[in-house]
Amino acid sequence: MKEEVILAKELTKIYRRGSEEIHALKDVSFAIKKGEFVAIVGPSGSGKTTLLNLLGCLDTPTRGSLRLNGIEVNGLKERDLVKLRRENIGFVFQQFFLLPTLTVRENIELPLLFSKRDGYQNRIDEIIEKVGLKARAEHLPGQLSGGEMQRVAIGRALVNEPKIILADEPTGNLDSATALKIFQLFQNLNTQGLTLIIVTHNLELAKSAHKVIQLRDGEIARKASSHGLSKKARS
Amino acid sequence: MNFVTLAIKNLLRRRGRTILTILGVAIAIAVLFSLLSFNSGYEKQLSGELDSLGIHILAVPKGCPYEAASLIIHGGVIPKYLSNSDVEEAKKIDGIEVASPMLLHQFYKDGEPHIVYGVIMNDVRRLKPWWKVEGRFFSGAEDNVMVIGQNLAEKEKLKVGDILPFGPDKTPFTIVGILERTDTQDDEFHFLPLQVAQRVFDKPDQITTIAIRVSDISRISEISKELENIPDIQVVTMTQVMGTIMNLVGSARTLLISVIIVAIIISAVGIMNTLLMSVNERTREFGMMKAIGASGLDIGRLVLIETLFISIVGGIIGLLFSILSSSLIEGFVKGIIPYSPASKLMTPEPGLIGLCLLFSVIIGFVCGIYPAIRSSRLTPMEAIRSNLE
Repeated sequence: MKEEVILAKELTKIYRRGSEEIHALKDVSFAIKKGEFVAIVGPSGSGKTTLLNLLGCLDTPTRGSLRLNGIEVNGLKERDLVKLRRENIGFVFQQFFLLPTLTVRENIELPLLFSKRDGYQNRIDEIIEKVGLKARAEHLPGQLSGGEMQRVAIGRALVNEPKIILADEPTGNLDSATALKIFQLFQNLNTQGLTLIIVTHNLELAKSAHKVIQLRDGEIARKASSHGLSKKARS
Repeated sequence: MNFVTLAIKNLLRRRGRTILTILGVAIAIAVLFSLLSFNSGYEKQLSGELDSLGIHILAVPKGCPYEAASLIIHGGVIPKYLSNSDVEEAKKIDGIEVASPMLLHQFYKDGEPHIVYGVIMNDVRRLKPWWKVEGRFFSGAEDNVMVIGQNLAEKEKLKVGDILPFGPDKTPFTIVGILERTDTQDDEFHFLPLQVAQRVFDKPDQITTIAIRVSDISRISEISKELENIPDIQVVTMTQVMGTIMNLVGSARTLLISVIIVAIIISAVGIMNTLLMSVNERTREFGMMKAIGASGLDIGRLVLIETLFISIVGGIIGLLFSILSSSLIEGFVKGIIPYSPASKLMTPEPGLIGLCLLFSVIIGFVCGIYPAIRSSRLTPMEAIRSNLE
């Protein structure tokens, strides 16, 4: 049986805006096993991104428990959260967030500057090749297409050898043909054993996932295999 | 890639703003260096200039003694006179090594003021033993001869042996000597035998000042008191002259210090504003950096390196500008202060350069620390939220 890389129990996140309380997540519980491809879907405001932020240790839950690779995240200090993120998680954003004055190679190398790992030059070359940007390695982001920029962002997420990739609407800014190529890249990474958690509105992408977590109003409306989602989508 | 490379590449993204901020620092440091350099050079050169007079005490006609002393060392004329008998009285005082009477006269040629000193050359040579001359000095018995300063000779294209029509009657004077450069006001003057000057300018028995050198400087105060017993004489010591000039300069210096403080505050506010704008604009970028593994310390360090880069580059540019244009700046400042020594005042002293660079680093540190702390404290969630949900 595969080990659980993420175990969430009754995760709750409440934001306060003045005297108003916004319940972004309410008692969300699930487990994700190593090598799984999980899609988080739901309408805007359903709590998808809040959940992704909690899973990525970018935010802490108001209540509940989250174990990442067996480590309880709640109560960790910022320094420990940084370490946990560096060693376990790679992030891919909808808007890429590439630094415009750095080349493709330098953008991919950026996380190594923070993790202070040396001797990774060969790995950067490998990653550039893996994401299909060998011919563009010395180009600046401004010289790349949207799909190529997202490939750089994926390469950047891979450089610290994370166990989990968290992607927030990774195809949201791409046309359908480019989006399909990015799906395929994610699928390849997943077949190589990487755990993949993707927040998406794109049902086609969600259908390729092993598991779909559907959120509505901060609660899990449905947990299903992508097969189940397909049926629901068709009905 | 390292943090410095990343910081520089970040700054290059906003080239125009970075250049303007660097210029702000450069101006502040240039003003600071110029003022400190001028100030340090001023005191040193003024003291050197007063020493080069070879005089401990000036005996001047009663009136405004400090103005008189300032005019004498600057080469002006006082419309009051002492007489030869005052000199004889002064010479009787015990402890006076040299008491040299001088008559000063000013005339204009082609709109330029010319200063003439009627002196007893043997006395002057005792006061200024370092004087060297091309040609020779004159003796007291000679008539219609003169020695001139180096700058004057160059300006008027005069050589030893030239005959110069001189005085109201255009009497022909022979230039018997040209002083080797002294880098003091002496380089600008005409020197004539005292009695000749008194005759040419129709000031018989009149002298402007008595330059006095004492044998023991610890007795200056005591000798000054004795001199003041002579009815026509008022006494000014060189220490008093120095103090008075420094006081006069003090007010100009206060003005300059106020200017520099304003320049530095404007520059500091400019840097901080630029950094805060830059930090605000890059909030989401910092969020991304934190998401991919940067700690708060890493982000703070990046912002601080950017600030220090701006302030150090600005400091170096300011110093280079200040050193390269020191003559221009010196000319400007000399124009607004009441008295300044003739020689070059602003010199690039290594200690002062180091101090100004250190100051620019401190400006950078002080201005960068708040934006750095602010950016380091951003939680990744806050930073990138606007792009999520």
